[in-house]
Amino acid sequence: MLAVEQLTKRYGSREAVRGISFSVEKGEIVGFLGPNGAGKSTTLRMITGFLAPTGGRIQVGEIDAVADPIGARRQIGYMPEGVPLYLEMRVHEYLRYRAELKGIGRKAREEAVERSLGQAAVEDAADRIIGQLSKGYRQRVGLADALLADPPLLILDEPTSGLDPNQIRSIRALIRGFEGEKTVFLSTHILPEVEATCGRVVILNEGRIVGEGDPAQLRGRAAGGTVRFVGRGELGAFEAALAALEGADAVRLDVDGELVRGRVRLEGADAAERLFAAVAEAGLALRELKTEGTSLEDVFTALTTEEAAGSDDALEDDDDLEEAADDDEEGADDLEGASADEDDEPADDDETLAEEDES
Amino acid sequence: MSAAWTIAKREIRSYFTSPIAYVVLLAWVFVTGLSFYTLVFWFAGRPSTGGSDNPLTLFFGGTVLFWLPLLVFAPVMTMRLFAAERAAGTLEPLMTAPVSELGIVAGKYLAANVFWWVLWLPTLLYVWIISRYGDVDLGTVASSYLGVVGIGLFYMAWGMLMSALAPNQIVAAVLTFLVLGLFFVAGIMQFVAIDTSREVLAYISVWSHMADFSRGVVDSRYLLFDVTMSGLAFFLTVRVLAWRRVAG
Repeated sequence: MLAVEQLTKRYGSREAVRGISFSVEKGEIVGFLGPNGAGKSTTLRMITGFLAPTGGRIQVGEIDAVADPIGARRQIGYMPEGVPLYLEMRVHEYLRYRAELKGIGRKAREEAVERSLGQAAVEDAADRIIGQLSKGYRQRVGLADALLADPPLLILDEPTSGLDPNQIRSIRALIRGFEGEKTVFLSTHILPEVEATCGRVVILNEGRIVGEGDPAQLRGRAAGGTVRFVGRGELGAFEAALAALEGADAVRLDVDGELVRGRVRLEGADAAERLFAAVAEAGLALRELKTEGTSLEDVFTALTTEEAAGSDDALEDDDDLEEAADDDEEGADDLEGASADEDDEPADDDETLAEEDES
Repeated sequence: MSAAWTIAKREIRSYFTSPIAYVVLLAWVFVTGLSFYTLVFWFAGRPSTGGSDNPLTLFFGGTVLFWLPLLVFAPVMTMRLFAAERAAGTLEPLMTAPVSELGIVAGKYLAANVFWWVLWLPTLLYVWIISRYGDVDLGTVASSYLGVVGIGLFYMAWGMLMSALAPNQIVAAVLTFLVLGLFFVAGIMQFVAIDTSREVLAYISVWSHMADFSRGVVDSRYLLFDVTMSGLAFFLTVRVLAWRRVAG
């Protein structure tokens, strides 16, 4: 549905997007992940024709979007970042105007407005003035606009940024509902968003693609990671036990009363078990034991900080990653299970993450 | 081109749902009213000369009371066309709709001219007032308004271009004021210039332009000038929008 080849955008001497290639199949929901300033919005703006690429090809369905931008735009429902709207207009009035602008005939227009109001769950605000709506509602008006012409491809730039947890949940549910029906390409810098809505993710950093795969595959890459524990005993005894543990790295121990709090970097899926065994062997007791680092956050951090050294390596790693994931389907399932568990309490996490990212 | 009509309709509606339209209209009615009152008062104070001049002739471009307000009002009317949309970010949904740059510019331009015409509607009242106390030649009135429409094409196009170029509305208004002011000053230089430069300056002079039209002289050279100047600014605005897609 969407294929991008060697897409480049240069602003003066600064290269915002550096020859990226990816494709999105029909019916897929794909997340476009990257830190602020990675070039996500620039890429989306080139796909939707707001910006002209410096180089490269964009194929929307059967249409070459660079040669026929207006034809390509007919296939796309776009929600720009921040959802700019005419604040003085009423919701239905705005949508009617947009429908007319998108060339929907007079007869079909009213029906299209009603349908998209329903799809974006914004019917109850249809008569209100956009400027008086909450951010969540405005976001949904933007989504309704994107859905007006019933386009096969939806391009959503930061669809949940600035929303409260309930609004985030409802927008995500809306987007998930499109799976199989519409092709969705959405950008975000919020990690839980990708896990909650996307079947696949493309990670962009400094204008280059540094990773691609499904969220579970990417998580699998960071299996192991950091193990935290709280134990009782002498600091020296813990130090000795961890020194004997093979692969233990970046050990940090703090004394807290008669307890010792520790943090160890340890690779492998059985990291916690090995640490437990090592501590028990030394005759020490543990109160708490927790592994961290199976989150996308670590993958993201790794990809978007370390890869600055060389992006070619990153792409090679990617191939390895996909092979590994195919070999280890069960592992991936486990991780998905783990993510589902975490999903029970995501609202708070999302909120804090969203807030951090916003600032 | 149906997109242009859609955009024009929205633009006009947005003019008249925002307070700015009413502030501009009110100020305009006040300023033109004052100008009309002054002219009528002036004519009433002197014996009839039997010449072609009457309050209406002078009202339509015969004094600075006409031009000074226009040089201020035109920039205010056009400053928001593109600059406001860019500041609010609404240019992005507009330019990612399946509409050409030409359609967008045509819609905005039409809307600006409609507002210009609306601005002149109240002045029909002055024509009516004069007609009650003296003879009004409808042909002269028609040509006066034709001149006004021509000036509108010219002013609105250059205001629109400045709005597309400027980073915000204030800069757009100032740039428009400067450009239109420059044309105006260059035009009235005809009164001090000599030989060929005088003819060239007379040709671009909005003052002579209106002086002819307000006396019932429809000079096609002036209309050609208006159409050429506005066509140029219109085309440049389309180019600016296309260029912004490239420059970001």
